[in-house]
Amino acid sequence: MKIALPILFAALGLAGAALAQSAGKSVWQGIYTTEQADRGAGVYAQRCGACHGAALNGTGEAPPLIGGEFVSHWDTMTVGDLYDRVRTTMPQNDPMSMTRDEYADVLAFLLKTNGFPAGVQPLDKRSEVLATIGITAEKPADR
Amino acid sequence: MKIILPIAAALLLSTAAGAQTPAKEGTIAARTTNGVANWTTYNADLKGSRYSPLDQINASNFKDLEIAWRFKTDILGSRPEYKLESTPLAVDGVIYTTGGTRRAVVALNGATGELLWQFALHEGKRSAESPRALSGRGLSYWTDGTRRRILYVTIGYRLVSLDADTGRPDPEFGTNGVVDLKTDFDQDMGDLDTGEVGVHSAPAVSGNSIIIGAAFREGFTPKTHNNTKGYVRAFDVRTGKRMWTFHTVPKPGEFGYDTWLNKSADINGNTGVWTQVSVDEELGLAYLAVESPTSDFFGGKRPGNNLFGNSLVAVDLKTGERRWHFQLIHHEIWDLDNSSAPLLMDVTVDGKPRKVVGLPSKQGFFYVFDRATGQPVWPIKETKVAKGNVPGEWYSPTQPMPSKPPVYARNGVEDKDLIDFTPDLKKKALELTSKYVLGPVYTPPIVSTPEKFGVINNWAQGGTNWPGGSFDPESGIAYVYACGACISSTGLLPPPAGLSDIPLVVGVAGQPVTMIKGPGEGAGADSPAPAAAPGAGNAGPPRLAVDGLPLVKPPYGTISAIDVNNGTIKWQVAHGETPDFVRNHPIIKAMGGIPRTGQSTYQIGTLVTKSVVIAGENQFTRTEDRPRGAMLRAYDKQTGAEVGAVYMPSTQSGSPMTYMVGGKQYIIVPTSGGNASGEFLAYALPNKK
Repeated sequence: MKIALPILFAALGLAGAALAQSAGKSVWQGIYTTEQADRGAGVYAQRCGACHGAALNGTGEAPPLIGGEFVSHWDTMTVGDLYDRVRTTMPQNDPMSMTRDEYADVLAFLLKTNGFPAGVQPLDKRSEVLATIGITAEKPADR
Repeated sequence: MKIILPIAAALLLSTAAGAQTPAKEGTIAARTTNGVANWTTYNADLKGSRYSPLDQINASNFKDLEIAWRFKTDILGSRPEYKLESTPLAVDGVIYTTGGTRRAVVALNGATGELLWQFALHEGKRSAESPRALSGRGLSYWTDGTRRRILYVTIGYRLVSLDADTGRPDPEFGTNGVVDLKTDFDQDMGDLDTGEVGVHSAPAVSGNSIIIGAAFREGFTPKTHNNTKGYVRAFDVRTGKRMWTFHTVPKPGEFGYDTWLNKSADINGNTGVWTQVSVDEELGLAYLAVESPTSDFFGGKRPGNNLFGNSLVAVDLKTGERRWHFQLIHHEIWDLDNSSAPLLMDVTVDGKPRKVVGLPSKQGFFYVFDRATGQPVWPIKETKVAKGNVPGEWYSPTQPMPSKPPVYARNGVEDKDLIDFTPDLKKKALELTSKYVLGPVYTPPIVSTPEKFGVINNWAQGGTNWPGGSFDPESGIAYVYACGACISSTGLLPPPAGLSDIPLVVGVAGQPVTMIKGPGEGAGADSPAPAAAPGAGNAGPPRLAVDGLPLVKPPYGTISAIDVNNGTIKWQVAHGETPDFVRNHPIIKAMGGIPRTGQSTYQIGTLVTKSVVIAGENQFTRTEDRPRGAMLRAYDKQTGAEVGAVYMPSTQSGSPMTYMVGGKQYIIVPTSGGNASGEFLAYALPNKK
C-alpha cells in the first residue's frame, strides 16, 4: 500500500502530461488572435517595457522575452505554466495587479513577437485551459 | 521608532518560538561532530578558494549522485524568488543560509533538509526602497568556542547577529542584535528609508572583525553623480561597534584625493565593494576589490584616474589603513567593475614560494600580485588605448594590461569574433554590426546615433561576475568560469528632464531613455509598482542575433584552469550544454552539429574538491536522453575532461558548496530560473548501490 500510492500518483501525472501532448494542442496552431496581441502590446508598454525593454530585448537584470533563448527556456512547458509565472510574479513590483484578460493579452503579444502564428480563437484566460497547450520551440513538421 | 518596530516584531516572533523552544531542540539534535566536514564561510575560507578536500564524491561515482533532500524558499517572503544566489554554510551538521524575497535566515538539518528555525526582519519601506533586494549571496558564521553567531545584512542594510542555535538576535550586539549600517557611515544618508545603499555579499568575519561593503542601484542610469559613497567598514563581532572605515573615495587630504580633478571626489559616489572581501589572517590584511565610481559608462563629472575606483586595495585588518593598492582600470567607463573575491594563493614562481593574490575580472584578465607588497608577479604594462569622443568625457590615455596569464575570456568584440558557421551567417553578422562600433578591450563608449547605436561589448555581464573564481590550495591552480557571449550594445544619450543630473546615460537612438533597474532592485517583498514606460513597444534596434543564432562565435561560456605557478592557462572547456535553439537550428543540423558551445550566462560559480571541479548549468535544455532541465557537471582538475554529470530539474543560480555529516558527503546547489522558483538541491551518493 505504501508503494502503490506514489506509483498511482506518478502514473496519473504522466498520463495527464501525455494527454496534453496527444490532444495535439500546440503554440503552432494559432491559439490567439491578432487583435488580442495588439491589445497586449499596449499593456506590455504600460506594465512590462520599463524592465524588459521596448523591443523585448531585456535591460539590466530583466531577461529578453524574445528569441531562441526565451523560447527554448519554455520548451516542453505549457502556455499555462508561462501564464501563471507571469500572472503570479509580474510586474515584479506588483504581481497579480492586472486582470486575467490583460495577462492573456500580454501572453498573446509575446507569442506573436516570437513568431507563433495567430488564429481565430483568442487565448483563454483560465490557467487550466492554457495548461493543455504545449510550448514547443521547434515547429513540428507538416502532417 | 522606525527601527524599533520591525525589531519588536522580530523579537515577538522569536519569543513566541522561544516559548516552545523547538528551534533550539531541533538545532541541538541536528548538531553533531560525527563524520563532519564543515563549510564555514561563503567561499569555504577567507582566502576565497571554494575548495573542500572531501573526496567521497569523485570522478568514479559522480554520475551516481542523487537528490538527498531539497528545500524550497517560496515561503521566505511575500512572493517566490526566481533568483536564488545564496551559498549555504555547513557547521557541525547544520546548514545556515539566506533565502526568499524577504532574505530570511534559516537553519536546516544537514542530513535531511528539515527546517530548524527561521528569522526575518520586516523592514517595510526601507526594504522596498533598497537597491539590492532578494535573498543575497549568503551569511557568515562566528564562534569564540562558546558563543556561536550567524551574521548577515538585511535587504534594508542592517547588520544582524543571531544565536546560531535559536535564531534569536544577540542582545549584546548593536541594539537588540541589530546595527543600522546607514548610520556611522561618515556621510549623511538623509532619510534612512530612502538613502541609497544595500549589499548582497556575505560579511567577511575574521577574528573579532566583521567587514562590510556596499552596493547601489545599477549604474547605467544613476539619478545623480553625487551618489552615496561605498565606504568599507569593520565592526566588532561581539558588540557591533564600528572599528574602522576605509574611504574608497578619499576625503580631502587623504591619499588619492588628487586623482579626482577639480575636487570631484566630493561630488561623486559608488566606488563600493559589493563582492566578497578576502582576508589573510597571517599577514593581517583584508583585500578589497573596489567597483567603479558613478556612473558606469560616463565619467565626465569625475575627471582623473579616480582612486580607489577599480582598484585592488589591501588594508590593515585591525585599523583599516591602506597598505597597498593597484588600480586595474583608470577612470573606468565600461562597467568593468571589480566583481570577484580576491583569491589568496600560495604558489611557487620561478622556484620561489610566493604568497600571491589573484583577481579574476569581467575583462578576462587574471591579475596576480604579491599579496604582501602589491607588486605584480608578472609585468602589468601601461598600454595606450583608444580615446573616445563623447562630449565632456575625460579619458585615461593608457590602461594596465597583464603580460601573464593570457586573457582567459573574450574582452573585445571585433570582426574575428562574429559568427562564422557559414559564409552567409558571417556576411549577415557584418551587415548587422555595421550599425554598431566593434573593437578590442577598452574601446570607449559612444553617443548613440541612428547610424551607430552603440559599442557591442561583453562588458557588464561578461567575463567573470559575482560568483568569482575558485582554486586548489595544494596545486596553485585557479578554476574560473567566464561568459564569452554576454554581449550587449552600449550607447549614451542625454536623459529626459528629472531622470538624472548626469549629462549622458545609457540609451539607444530613437528610443526613450528610461531608468534601468539593477539586480533585485524594486523586486523585494515590500516593493511597490513601477511606472509605465513611455513609448515602449516601438520597434527598437535590431537584435544582436543572426538568423536566430548568437552574434558571436562560441564558446559562449567557459571554465579555465589557470596555473598561477607559471601564469599559463592549463586547460579551458566550454561549460554547459549547447543551447537548444542553437543545437536544433536547421543550419547547425545541416552542418551535422557543432562541438559543445557552453552557455551565455554570468551566474556560474565553481566548487573545487580533492579531485574534481564542479559546476552546474544556468540554462534549461532538453536532449534525447533527458527531459527539460540542466546538468551538474564534474571535470578532472588536471585535464578538464568531464568525468561525470547529473541531472538537475532546475538551473544553478548560485555557487555550489559541499560538506559532510554522518560520514556522508553532500553537495548543495542553489537553483532557480524560468518557471522554477528558488530551491536548494542537496546531492549525495546512494546509501546502497
